[in-house]
Amino acid sequence: MFRLTWKGLLAHKVRFALTAFAVMIGVSFLVGTNVLTDTIRRTFDDLFADINEGTDAFVRSRDEIDSQFGPQRDRIPANLLPEIRRIDGVREAQGSLFFYAQLVDRDGDAIGNPGQGDPTFGGNWTPEGLLNPWQLVRYEGAASRPPRTADEVVVDKSSADKGALLVGEKVRVLTQAAPKEYTLVGVVRFGDVDSPGGASASIFTTSESQRITAAPDAFDSIAVANGDGVSQAEMVRRVEAAIGHPKQYEVLTGAEITKENQDEIARAMSFFTIGLSIFAYVALFVAVFLIFNTFSIVVAQRLRELALLRAIGASGRQVCWSVLGEAVMVGLLASAAGVLGGVVVAGVLKALFAGFGMELPSQGLVVAPDVVVLGLIVGTLITTVSAVFPARRAARVPPIAVMRDVAIERAGHRLGWTVAGVVLTAFGVAVLLYGLLGSPKNGIAYVGFGALVLFIGVAVLGPTLACPVGRLLGWPLARLRGITGELARENSVRNPRRTSLTAAALMIGVALVGFITIFASSTKESISVAVDRVFRADYVITTHGGGFGGGFSPDLAEEVDALPEIQTASGLRFNVFEIDGSSKFFASSDPVGIDELFDVDPIAGDFATLGVNQLAISQKVADAKGWKVGDELPVRFPVGNKGTMTVGAIYGTGQQEGLSDYFISLAAYDSRYNEHLDNQVYARLRPGVTPEEGKRAIEPVVKRYPNAELQDQAEYKQAQEAQINQFVNLVYLMLALAVIIAGIGIANTLALSIYERTRELGLLRAVGMSRAQLRSTVRWEAVIIALFGTGLGLVIGLFFGWAVVEALKSEGITEFAPPGFQLIVVVAIALVVATIAAIFPARRASRLDVLQAIQTQ
Amino acid sequence: MTNAAPATTATIAARAVMASKIYGQGDNEVRALDGISVEFAQSRFTAIMGPSGSGKSTLLHCLAGLDRVTSGQVFLGDVEISACTEKQLTLIRRDRIGFVFQAYNLIPTLNAEENITLPMALAGHKPDRAWFDNVVDAVHLRDRLSHRPSELSGGQQQRVAVARALVSRPDLIFADEPTGNLDSRSGAEILTFMRQAVTDLQQTIVMVTHDPGAASYADRVVFLADGKIVDEMQDPTAERVLDRMKSFGD
Ligand SMILES: Nc1ncnc2c1ncn2[C@@H]1O[C@H](COP(=O)(O)OP(=O)(O)O)[C@@H](O)[C@H]1O
Ligand SMILES: [Mg+2]
Repeated sequence: MFRLTWKGLLAHKVRFALTAFAVMIGVSFLVGTNVLTDTIRRTFDDLFADINEGTDAFVRSRDEIDSQFGPQRDRIPANLLPEIRRIDGVREAQGSLFFYAQLVDRDGDAIGNPGQGDPTFGGNWTPEGLLNPWQLVRYEGAASRPPRTADEVVVDKSSADKGALLVGEKVRVLTQAAPKEYTLVGVVRFGDVDSPGGASASIFTTSESQRITAAPDAFDSIAVANGDGVSQAEMVRRVEAAIGHPKQYEVLTGAEITKENQDEIARAMSFFTIGLSIFAYVALFVAVFLIFNTFSIVVAQRLRELALLRAIGASGRQVCWSVLGEAVMVGLLASAAGVLGGVVVAGVLKALFAGFGMELPSQGLVVAPDVVVLGLIVGTLITTVSAVFPARRAARVPPIAVMRDVAIERAGHRLGWTVAGVVLTAFGVAVLLYGLLGSPKNGIAYVGFGALVLFIGVAVLGPTLACPVGRLLGWPLARLRGITGELARENSVRNPRRTSLTAAALMIGVALVGFITIFASSTKESISVAVDRVFRADYVITTHGGGFGGGFSPDLAEEVDALPEIQTASGLRFNVFEIDGSSKFFASSDPVGIDELFDVDPIAGDFATLGVNQLAISQKVADAKGWKVGDELPVRFPVGNKGTMTVGAIYGTGQQEGLSDYFISLAAYDSRYNEHLDNQVYARLRPGVTPEEGKRAIEPVVKRYPNAELQDQAEYKQAQEAQINQFVNLVYLMLALAVIIAGIGIANTLALSIYERTRELGLLRAVGMSRAQLRSTVRWEAVIIALFGTGLGLVIGLFFGWAVVEALKSEGITEFAPPGFQLIVVVAIALVVATIAAIFPARRASRLDVLQAIQTQ
Repeated sequence: MTNAAPATTATIAARAVMASKIYGQGDNEVRALDGISVEFAQSRFTAIMGPSGSGKSTLLHCLAGLDRVTSGQVFLGDVEISACTEKQLTLIRRDRIGFVFQAYNLIPTLNAEENITLPMALAGHKPDRAWFDNVVDAVHLRDRLSHRPSELSGGQQQRVAVARALVSRPDLIFADEPTGNLDSRSGAEILTFMRQAVTDLQQTIVMVTHDPGAASYADRVVFLADGKIVDEMQDPTAERVLDRMKSFGD
C-alpha cells in the first residue's frame, strides 16, 4: 500500500505542490514568529542576567499597582543605604533611580519614541564595580569618564551614534524637570551591545537624578553585592533583619529579581507571539479548506482507479489509508520546508528589527527544538486532518464503479448538511456575541471560538448557497459576455461543494480584512465624534506620533499657560489606579478652568474645587456602582498607596463619551505617583486671538521640547487616524498571507477542474471557441467564485465589525461606520487576486491540444 | 441518377493534395497519411472506410483543420487551410465546419438548445430562428431542448450533436463514427437524418465509419489502407461494401 501511496503522490505532484506550498507558508510564519520571539526573549534574558549579575540582594518597596505599562511602586528612603552597607558580609550596596529621560540629537530632534518603541530612560551612575553593568568606552577618539557634577551626563553608544553626539559637547535632555543642557562626558556600552535592547539611556550623578525625579532622599531600589562566603538567601535574611518593616519593604535575592525581570519580558513577549501566531493560524485555517478541496477533487478524479483497487481486493480501509498516507507525506514535506522557511522568515524579521534600531545580539537565531516540533506537528496534523473526509469518501467508492460510468462529480448536497450549516452558523454567532457582550471571564477565547465555528458553519452552508448565488452573480455576466460568461457561470455552479470550499478560503480572508477595515473606520469616526463633542481647546500638544508612553515636563503646560495669548492651558495625564478592588484608567488635569478645555458636562458636586483627596466619577460609573457625591471610596496608588478618596463631582463625559470614567486633579496625581509627566497639553486661546497669532505664540515654547508636537483639532484627528492606519496596515500585511493562500486555492481548484474537463474543453475548441474565449471563461469562473467568497466574507466582516463596536461602546467606540469606498476596494482586490489566480489555469486550458483533448477518454 | 452529376464538374467542397501525415521519427515513424489526394464534392455524402489504424480519423482531422498535414496541401473550398494560422483555423471551424464525434459531443453544463447554438454563440451571431426550428423538428428534439446532456439518451445526444453541426449551415460536416456508440435503431435514425440533410438541404457530409451498413447511406465510399486511398465506390450498398472490405482483408 505504501508503494501505491508514493506512486500516487508522484503522479499528482503538481496538484499537491500547491497544497504543500500553502501549508509551508503557514508553518513558516508560525515557526518564524516563534523563533523571532525566542531570540528576542533570550536577548532580554541575557540582558537581565547581565544587569543583575553582581546583585545578590535587591531591596524595594513592597506595594505596587499593576497596570498595562508594568507595575508601579513607591520609592524607598535613601537612608536605608548606609544601614545596609553596615550589614556584616555586604561588599557593596548601591541605590538606583530609574526615570523618563529623552536625549535631543544634534538637529534638535528627540531620540527614540517611548510611546511606540523602545524605552528612553535615565538613571544614576554608581561607582564602577560589581553593581554597575555599564562600561565606559572611547568614543570617536575621546576618552570617557563618569558624570561628576549636576551638569554632566553619560549616554549609551547607540544613542550617541543615532544623535551624532560627541564627548565634550553639550547635549539637551528632556525629563520631568525642565529641559536642561548637559556636557557629555562619556559613552558607555552594555556588555557586548551598544545599548540594552535598543533602549536609549542617559546617566547622571545620583544627586542630579534625585533632583530630576524630585526625590531628594529616595531610591527606586538598592542592590547589594555579597562578600565571599555569604549566600544570597542568607544576605536577604540579614537585610530584612537590619531594615525591619517587612510590610513596607521587599527584599529579593539576585536570582529572584533576575527571574522576575525575565518573566515580565516573557509575558510582554507572549502577547507579541500570540498576536503574530494568530495570523499564522488564520493562514493555516485557510489552508485547511485548500487541502480538503484538493484531496476531494483528486479522490473524485481517481474514482475509477480506486474502484479498480477495490475490485481487485483492496479493503476500504486500505484505500482510505493510501489517501491519508499521501496527506501525511505532503504534510511532513511541507512542514519540514515550512520550518526551514520559518528560520528564513525570522532572519528577515530580525534584520527588519535591526533596521528599526532594535539591536539583537549577533549570536544568531534561537531555534528551539520545541518550535521545530510544533511546526512539524501543526503542519502535518492540519494536512492529515483536512484529508480525513476525502479519504473516507475514497474508502466508500464501490468496486462496481470500475464498470459503471459513475458520474465524476458529486453534484448537489444533502439537506442534512444545510441544517448542520445553519446550526453551526447560529451557534458560532451566539458564542461570539456571548463572548463580546456577555462579558464572561475569557471573552476573547469565546470570540475566537465563535468566529471559528461561524466560519465553518458558513462553509458547510456554502454548497447550498453556491448554486443560487453563483447563478445570480453570473447572470449579468452571461448577459454581458454571452456564451463565455454563461459557460463560466455554469462551470462555477456545476460542483457547488468545490466552488463553496474554494470561496470559503477567500471568505475568511475577506471577512477579517473587512472587519479590520470597518473597525478601524469606526474607531476613527468615534474619535472624530468624541473630539468634536469633548474638545473645547484650540490646540493640543502631544508627543511625536502620539500615544501615551512618553510625556513632557509639567513646565511645558505652565509656560504655555503663562503666554498672554492663552486663556487656559493644562496638562492631561492618563494612568491607572485601583478603585474598589479593580484597576481602572483615569484622567488627570487641572480642574480649575477645565471647562475651557473640555466639555466635561458637570452633573453634581463641584468639579473646579476638586481637592487632593477627592476624585470625580462619570455618571455611568455613579449609576452602575450607586456612588454619589460625598461617598468615600477605597483607592490604591503607588505612593502612600492605601486610603480613600471622596467623590467630589459627577460628570457626564465618561470613557464612552470620549474622556474617562475617573478623574483626579494634577495635585492629587503629583502626591500619589513618582513620575510627573503630562501626556498631553491642552490650550485655549484668549478671545480675540486668531489661530495664527496663537500658533506663533505657542510654537517657540513647544520648540524647546523636541518631543512635543503642536496640533489643532483637525491635525490632532489626523494624527490619531494616521496612528490607526499604521496599525491597520500592519494587520493587512499579516492578513495578506491568508488572502494569498486563498488565491492559491482558487488556482488549484481551477487547475484541477480544467484537468477533468479536458475533453469538454477540446470539444469547445473543436467547434470554434478561440483561445481568448476559453481563457476568459476560466477567468470569469474565478471571478464568480471570488465574488461568492467575497460577498460571504463581507457579510461576516460587517457582522464582526458591528458586534465588536457594540461591545466596545463603553470604551468609547461609539460609532459603527463601515467605509463604503474601502470595502469596494477590498472587493476589487479580491477580484484581482482571483484574476491573477486564474492566469495560469486559464493559460493551461487554452493551450490544450485540441486533438489530444477530444481523444482523451 | 447515378451519373447525373459527374464528380469532376461538381463544385469541390474540400480536397487534399499529396497530403501526408507522419507521426514519430526514425524507427518509430508512422505514416498515418501517405500522399493522399482526394476531393469531396459539394452536396454529397461521402463515407471513409478502412481497417482500424488506416488513417481515417487522421484524414478527417486534417481536412477539418484540427490537425496539420506534414506535407501536401488541404483546401476547404478555395482556402488552403494547411497554410492557415491557428487563429484562422479556429474561425474556420466555428463558421464553416460542423462536427459530430463518436461520443462526448456535448457540453454537460449547457442544455440541448444551448449546445445546438453553441458555435453561433461563440461567434456572437444570432441563430436563424426558422432554420433552427426546421433542424430541431427534423431531429425530433423539440420537447428536449431544455434538457441537459445527462438527461438525454445516447441517441438523443447524437441527434443534438448533428443538429449543432447543421444549424450553422456549415460548408462541410465531418462525422467520425457518429453511430459507433449507438444501438442500430438510433444509428439508423441518425444516418437517415444525415442523408436527408444532404438530399433535401444540399448539405455536404464526410463521415468516417467502419460499418458497411452506415456506409450504404452515402453517395460515395472512399477506402483507405495504410494511409493510402486504395479504392472508391459510387452509390454503395451494404453488401457491395462488405464484399470489397473482405477483399482487403481486415
Ligand atoms: N498522435 C499520434 N501519435 C502517433 N501515432 C498516431 C497518433 N495518432 C494516430 N497515430 C497513428 O496513425 C495511424 C492512423 O491512425 P487513425 O487515423 O486514428 O486511424 P483510424 O482512425 O483509421 O483507426 C495509426 O497507426 C495510429 O497509431
Ligand atoms: Mg478512428
